[in-house]
Amino acid sequence: MKRIFVDYKKCLACKACETACAVRHHPSGTFIGSLGDRKTEINVRVLGIEHEAFPLSCRHCDPADCLSACPSGALSRDVDTGATLIDPTRCKACAMCAMVCTFDAISFKVTHRSPHDREIAHKCDLCVERTKDGGTPACVEACHSGALVYTEFDLARSKRATRTLRTYLLGEEGVPPLVELYRELRRKEFARRRGSAE
Amino acid sequence: MKIVTAGTGMAAAEFVEQLRLEGFSGEIVMVGDEDFPPYSPCVIPFYLAGDPLDTVFWKGKDFYEKYRVTARLGEPVVQVDPDRHIIRTANGKTEDYDRLFFATGSHSRHPRPEWLETGGVFGFKTLTDMIAIDRYIREQQVTEAVVFGGGFIGVDAALALQARGLSVSLVHRNTRLLSQMTDEDGGQFATLRLAEKTGMDIQLRTKVEEISHANGRLTAVRLSDGRKIATRLLILSVGVTPNSAPLKGEDTGICSNEQMLADPCIYTAGDVAITRHAIDGVPAVYANYPNAMRQARVAARHLVHGDGSYGGSINTTVLRKHIDFPVISAGNFSGESVTWQRGDVWRRVYLVDGMINGYITIGDTRLSGYLYQHYVARTRVDGTIRKIISSPRQDGQYREMLGFASD
Repeated sequence: MKRIFVDYKKCLACKACETACAVRHHPSGTFIGSLGDRKTEINVRVLGIEHEAFPLSCRHCDPADCLSACPSGALSRDVDTGATLIDPTRCKACAMCAMVCTFDAISFKVTHRSPHDREIAHKCDLCVERTKDGGTPACVEACHSGALVYTEFDLARSKRATRTLRTYLLGEEGVPPLVELYRELRRKEFARRRGSAE
Repeated sequence: MKIVTAGTGMAAAEFVEQLRLEGFSGEIVMVGDEDFPPYSPCVIPFYLAGDPLDTVFWKGKDFYEKYRVTARLGEPVVQVDPDRHIIRTANGKTEDYDRLFFATGSHSRHPRPEWLETGGVFGFKTLTDMIAIDRYIREQQVTEAVVFGGGFIGVDAALALQARGLSVSLVHRNTRLLSQMTDEDGGQFATLRLAEKTGMDIQLRTKVEEISHANGRLTAVRLSDGRKIATRLLILSVGVTPNSAPLKGEDTGICSNEQMLADPCIYTAGDVAITRHAIDGVPAVYANYPNAMRQARVAARHLVHGDGSYGGSINTTVLRKHIDFPVISAGNFSGESVTWQRGDVWRRVYLVDGMINGYITIGDTRLSGYLYQHYVARTRVDGTIRKIISSPRQDGQYREMLGFASD
């Protein structure tokens, strides 16, 4: 099974992943349609932490604590992709899933998939409609810097990954020189803003 | 081999599903007092609030057919004879078994059971209760309600009725709502914010003392502080008791070993089972959905394969119903406390030996999973926890991961 991995050192915080996710999950399928729509679903969030950036989304853990915690039968695992999926018709937004999600990858709001215009849980669905046919998640396709990678997930990695967030990072290929330069400039800019000369 | 489940609740349904998934092909009989497919008690208040009834059947309305189960419904189990391997139901029928799964759940504890004979007075525990309340509200065009009991079920009931459009008064004996899942400070904070956000009339340090009725229907309740509230609907939710009398002779819960066996041929699980707490080892009934699921899976695996054991229960709870104001907690509220509050968000972590002994997070679900995982994993967090829970952007765990959270 493939998963989305994050190499945060390559993330430029451009938020192309967020935009692509919003468009992908909007009924209009367009950027203009998703703009200013309070029901737009964005299932990846680029966290800005000091000078670093981290694109955060569901890890589709296996086993998944959220799946065992859902008392309404809304969460299930897709057999083709291994993704954990939310059935909006069953979800009551009770937060049992969020209560045990160590990644804070589950949010709540009224989306275009909400029945009766009511809040539901929403999170990354690994773009299953694309990935089950061999495609790539929209966020990964939109990432120009290589911070998001959709690749095979090995068991050893999954065992380590359930212990700590840090082990989710790829970080094996090294950071390209231009990205390294950009990181250095960003680090200095944040240091300048903090008023501490470096 | 013939398997019988006493109860058709969530634990029993999970047990049966797992048996079939593990390859058990023998006869399964499920015996329960309500005439429904297995339903989710966590979801039924949403039905009262207006959601479709079908969504309460969280494993599908066709559960019994799908898993090839003989269902004997409307027949509560009143007696188990472990020596003869027989159960007896209220109408005198018997069912023999090779293995029994005893998961009869719990029932509402009522201060004055005779009040239930008055029209408009209901418990709030079963789907039968919900359907009766729903019908009563529609037929009597009820617009106001009093809920007696401000624990989890009482607040759940009050929020569901308010979401339906009723004006609700919530009466609770304690100094704060949700008193079992919060400490004093957290409970006070949650109570205050819930009152502000819902506009609900919350009466603390008092109880419903008497009810008034006319022509067999409720007209008003009188509180112990003398106040009288006119109402046609009273919900009683002052506590629950395990349904263990059929097996044990009294309603104090069923003890089991790590394979969930209460007897060589009787498994138990769910709201009736006494289990060891995974962290502090204290035996008690830890009635929540994830515990019931894990207990049922352990029992099913042990029955089919003869292996597996239960690692203990965790007393995690979350109340987030109809409004975006979650209250989450786990563990024991003792030890060194670390507290953070800003606006509607309040967090407190209790530390013992540098590890999380208990936590409460109110107003935001973020970081609750982090606290849960570190609580269960028994990792030391005393060097970072202050900065993590006090991150104003609620991203403390990611700050820690990137090396920005050390004290």
